[in-house]
Amino acid sequence: MSGSAPTSSAAGLLGRLRGADLPLLVAGGCILVILCAGATVNGAFLSPHYLIQQAQVASFLGIVATGAMLVILLGHIDLSVPWTLTAGAMLGTGLAGTAAGGAVAIPVALAVGALVGLVNGIGVAILRIPSMIFTLGVNAVLQGLMVLYTGGSAPPSTAAPLVRWLAGGHLVPGLPNAILVWAAVGLLCSLMLRRTIAGRTLYAVGNRERAAYLNGMPVRRAVCGVFVLAGMCSTGAGVLLTGYSGKAFQGMGDSYLLPAIAAVVLGGTSIMGGQGRYAGTVVGTILIVLLQSMLAVLQMPDAGRQIIYGLVIFCMLLLYGRQRAAR
Amino acid sequence: MSDATTAVDARPLLELQGVVKRFGPVTALADGTLCCRPGSIHAVMGENGAGKSTLIKIMAGVLSPTEGIMRLDGREIAFSSPAEAQRHGVVCVFQELSLMPDLSVADNIGITAPPRRWGLIDRGAQLAEARRLLRLVGCDDIDGRERVRDLPLSRRQMVEIAKALGRKPRLLILDEATSALTADDVGRVVALLKRLRAEGMCILYISHRMHEIRELADECSVFANGRHVASFPFGSRTEDEIVRMMIGRPLSQMYPPKPPAPRVAPAPLLEARRLGWENRLRDVSLGVAAGEIVGLGGLDGQGQREFLLALFGCLSGVTGEIVMDGSPVSPRGPRTAKADPMRLALVPEDRKTEGLMLPMTVAENLSAATLSRWRRGPLIDNRRERQAIEEMQRRMQIKAVLDLPVATLSGGNQQKVAIGKWLMLGPRVLLLCDPTRGIDVGTKQEIYRLLRELADAGTAVLLYTTDYDELIGLCDRVAIFRDGHVVRTLEGDGITEEAILSGALAMGGADHGTERAA
Repeated sequence: MSGSAPTSSAAGLLGRLRGADLPLLVAGGCILVILCAGATVNGAFLSPHYLIQQAQVASFLGIVATGAMLVILLGHIDLSVPWTLTAGAMLGTGLAGTAAGGAVAIPVALAVGALVGLVNGIGVAILRIPSMIFTLGVNAVLQGLMVLYTGGSAPPSTAAPLVRWLAGGHLVPGLPNAILVWAAVGLLCSLMLRRTIAGRTLYAVGNRERAAYLNGMPVRRAVCGVFVLAGMCSTGAGVLLTGYSGKAFQGMGDSYLLPAIAAVVLGGTSIMGGQGRYAGTVVGTILIVLLQSMLAVLQMPDAGRQIIYGLVIFCMLLLYGRQRAAR
Repeated sequence: MSDATTAVDARPLLELQGVVKRFGPVTALADGTLCCRPGSIHAVMGENGAGKSTLIKIMAGVLSPTEGIMRLDGREIAFSSPAEAQRHGVVCVFQELSLMPDLSVADNIGITAPPRRWGLIDRGAQLAEARRLLRLVGCDDIDGRERVRDLPLSRRQMVEIAKALGRKPRLLILDEATSALTADDVGRVVALLKRLRAEGMCILYISHRMHEIRELADECSVFANGRHVASFPFGSRTEDEIVRMMIGRPLSQMYPPKPPAPRVAPAPLLEARRLGWENRLRDVSLGVAAGEIVGLGGLDGQGQREFLLALFGCLSGVTGEIVMDGSPVSPRGPRTAKADPMRLALVPEDRKTEGLMLPMTVAENLSAATLSRWRRGPLIDNRRERQAIEEMQRRMQIKAVLDLPVATLSGGNQQKVAIGKWLMLGPRVLLLCDPTRGIDVGTKQEIYRLLRELADAGTAVLLYTTDYDELIGLCDRVAIFRDGHVVRTLEGDGITEEAILSGALAMGGADHGTERAA
């Protein structure tokens, strides 16, 4: 094969097509099928208004999935997403209510996320506790802390105007700002993965931590850094959600953990770490959101909705999610 | 007929004719032809990538052939799985270990068909069977209840062989099974194989080590570029002829010439003083000068690996002193060890799990240790990085497409990537841990030449190898390790097989006879 490859760049393209683009193509095709199916049932399914609304909904999940993807690329998992997100939302709105103008909501939320991420990172990278267990514990602790903070009910404070504007305002007419935020986060993440030392280190650690360490790569710093970024993604999405829904509430993060992981894996990122592209996560996110939305539009009973949702994910993973046989 | 003794009653046990295996557009085996007779040891030789491994995997039922015929006892046969091949008596000891590290030795030996009573595993019987098999391979000293994880590599490989014998093979295939063995264990395996041959077993022996083949082989088949070149009774061709069949190069130029030893010993560039770590390193004092290749010899697992890891900063709790350019340094990890002023590089023992990130591309692996050099602002300068990678590919003659995963390369080319990655750093000291293990003759030779060139250009090289030939042919000085000590240092003409062996095994009176105090 190497003999017949005309140039290395052509061969590189080939390699990439085979390795990473199959999930993209399949997930993209699936999106088209869902849109067409939706359009036959209800013509409004293809209207720009509906599509933009879906993109806005997708942007919250997309930001959470960005963090989830980074962690999964490392070969770890972050199960503290639900209450990290909720904590960011609650503390963001809660503190913004007392402080000037609500401008502090976002930095407060991001700082909370960074702190939670740092705790996760220290637990995983330095104490070397399996991430699945450690982040689960952190999630439980955060839940307890938030119950203490709010007294067990939804906090009375509402989202600050700036936050509302970020989630639902229109900097570009017709396009909610949340989509722009998602785009910016995505661009930065994609650039980091492809073009920076941090990105290369991340893939290396995800593929083989010991080899990365022996390369002299900063393994612990990479793991801590990624958990910090993931925490910030979660709380950032949380504070944006308060802008969308008006306020923070208990359990607002519950519906983000598993869909985010599903979006990452449907996008072709290996759950074992080390392989995957950001574009896949974007497509995976859109697919998950459209699927949920269409099942809702079809007014299917909840049980049937869950079954179909599970089956679609299952079938797609059968197509490309299995581990390739080792040579 | 001179070969009447082997041919008389020996109907072939397993026979392959024109077996072809393709993976998509890649032909891994173009002509697999082989004939194994009971009661004989058949050596299969060839460079890495010659198709040997594919051939064996087909025989062992791991792969199914694309074309061609396989006959067992004269009847045509196709194995659908390794289990089926084993039921027919074809058992393979693979190059990569297949033991479960957290199970006991006995559990591993009995893993597929443990003895049972009332449907439950009979642990007593299993242990007894394991003991019997371990005794058979000459390893009575291994406790069947020990966890495999706690055994050194060489012992694990012996367990692997014992496990294979437990499957009652008629055809036993050993694929590089001795590459991880200490000289001691190689001796045991050789004796074992001779005994099994006398009992009528057919043995297929794949090794890159000529002296083992010399001692064992009755017949020999040579493969090159996926094709069967020739089969002949061993001894009917000279070794030079065989090597030429494999690579077209005479053996005599295997090692590059050594430079004459300097009259006054040069000052060491890197020096360990009374280095200690747990109970694996004790008072190790050893230096290496610029331009010198120093070999670490002795039996396997005597502290050589730990010594290299300690220098590279991978171990915590190391006592003693590491001195570079005359001033003490304390590498706290590969990151500080590879940075200026130390600029150390370590090519680790296991290229698949330590040296390379297998699913990543050749290019990404090559630049992995030197990423900070290609930085421009916050980003990596792709063009400069690419240039450096291509230059290294040319220099190391790596036969590969840079953008394909490094896992697709042959073992020899993978090792070149693992070494080339560190040459991108321009290291002052190069530490290597068994860099030629399981690699073909041609690539070995290239690596020897490269190491000598590096030394000539002023690099200090520390080389741990299990192959005595390399210590003798390549090294300027050899330090023999035993039980965490350096028990003897050999120089120049003093580096002989006898001297290495007697030092390693504590024979003769010269214990602690370090010929030159460090």
